[in-house]
Amino acid sequence: MEHTTIVETHSLTKRYGSGVLAVDSVDMSVRRGEVYGFLGPNGAGKTTTLRMLVGLIRPTSGTATVAGHTPGSPAGLKTIGALIESPGFYPYLSGRENLRVVADLASVSQKRVDEVLDLVELASRAGRKFGTYSTGMKQRLGVAAALLKDPELLILDEPTNGLDPQGMAEMRKLIKDIGQGDRTVLLSSHLLGEVEQICDRVGVIKNGHLVKQSTVQELLGEEGVLVRAEPADQAQELLTKMFGPEAISRQNGAIHLKVKPENSIEINRRLTDAGIGVSELRPFERSLEEVFFQLTGEKQGS
Amino acid sequence: MIATIRAEWRKSRFRPAFLVAGGVMAGITALVYSLNWYLALHPNAAGDRAVNIATLYPDQFVNSVMGAAFPVGAAMAIVVGAIFAGSEFGWGTLKTMFTQGPGRLTVWTGRLVVFGAWMLILTAVLFAIGAGSSVVVALFQGHAIAWPTAIDIAKGMGGIWLVFAVNGAIGLALGTLIRQSAAALGIGLIYVLAVEIIAVRFIDLINNGAYKWITELFVNQNATALTQSFTSPAFGRALAPAVSAEHAVLVLAAYGIGLVVVAAGLLRFRDVT
Repeated sequence: MEHTTIVETHSLTKRYGSGVLAVDSVDMSVRRGEVYGFLGPNGAGKTTTLRMLVGLIRPTSGTATVAGHTPGSPAGLKTIGALIESPGFYPYLSGRENLRVVADLASVSQKRVDEVLDLVELASRAGRKFGTYSTGMKQRLGVAAALLKDPELLILDEPTNGLDPQGMAEMRKLIKDIGQGDRTVLLSSHLLGEVEQICDRVGVIKNGHLVKQSTVQELLGEEGVLVRAEPADQAQELLTKMFGPEAISRQNGAIHLKVKPENSIEINRRLTDAGIGVSELRPFERSLEEVFFQLTGEKQGS
Repeated sequence: MIATIRAEWRKSRFRPAFLVAGGVMAGITALVYSLNWYLALHPNAAGDRAVNIATLYPDQFVNSVMGAAFPVGAAMAIVVGAIFAGSEFGWGTLKTMFTQGPGRLTVWTGRLVVFGAWMLILTAVLFAIGAGSSVVVALFQGHAIAWPTAIDIAKGMGGIWLVFAVNGAIGLALGTLIRQSAAALGIGLIYVLAVEIIAVRFIDLINNGAYKWITELFVNQNATALTQSFTSPAFGRALAPAVSAEHAVLVLAAYGIGLVVVAAGLLRFRDVT
């Protein structure tokens, strides 16, 4: 299947005047119609990259093409909706008036304001001043503003920041809904479970480098079976005979088998017949969180 | 361009800070008129500051409102300019504006048009309250109501608009440079109300005023000269303005253009972080 890209960067680099290298030779490609998750620890360069894609920041070197245009060009911006970091609105205006201001700037019909307010389920509170909004309502208004242009590409930078669990669930549903169809969503997030559920492909950035870019499935690797048995060496020998050495690895006392979980019954029977005690036998799949910590070198739970 | 002007007007038409500025301008004008009226009626209490009641009648109101316009009105313009430019950084709304489609310079031009309109609104408030106050004085004093010519009113409004616009541009440029309102308006006010005045006195002292021409390039000197050019024999002033009105208009216009071009350059080329 042939994919066309909507965002393409080549050696995209940003070095600030202070000498800080925020983004270092990033080669990123986002395909049309996909939901792309952009992951990385705090300060990894996610927001700086996204700011370069919408033209708020100029790259020190490298190139980027967004929807066929140079980042920040008026023609390109007409096809992009973006929520970068926190939503920026006027506190003394109502949510609806704020969207009207944005609609004027984007030369979008004022009728579209009520449509997007309905879409983010904020219509009933659109008359209240933005300054009185909760964090969740502010984020929703930010998403509504990004949707005003009915954009081909929606860039959302940490849209669940500061939300409570219910707000996160609602935002996740909203992103899933707006990512349907032909629209491309480029989503930066800390919430790995969320990205795992929503995204088709992910890019992982660390210290300004894009360390991995692939589909979620590729990133998680093949499914397998985890076995804990005693004596472990005897169990490993038997399982090596059954599936070959390339299918087996040992981690923290457990044996990881790169085999289909359907083999579990046979594995259990053969181990038991050989007098080996099985204390744990279950399908094994790495979570995106594990992969993320492995790629970024961050300590899990730290 | 029309879209950016519409957006800018939509967001600033009910902005509390600007409405308050209009109210303060109205209050100051009314206060200056009231004070002058009192001084005119109580010459003994006024001493050296005695006011000729004739200067408070409608035919003189253009000349009279100049006293309210500078420096208090100009200071108000600096505050409004600093808030207008600086708050966009504080609220993070600059990134919202710059990611909608129009280029940065188009957005800036639209903002300038609306800011110019706000300076005109402040000017109109000043003149309206001045005219109204002069009518009140005339009615109470039993004096006939006669107005200055339309051209004199237009000239006066143009002059005050220029003074407000230039001082507002100082606020705009500082707000853009510093990327916040509070420090910008503080620095702007200190510069216009203190630094320039001290600098003028100091320069005048050097070599028996040999470098006085430098002071004639300062904002204060030119704004003062422009407002002083609106006078009449009723005011009894003998002191001629430091520079001609034409010179003042040219210098102030150069400041205004220079400041908005510098601010445009900052907005066009700087990263929005």
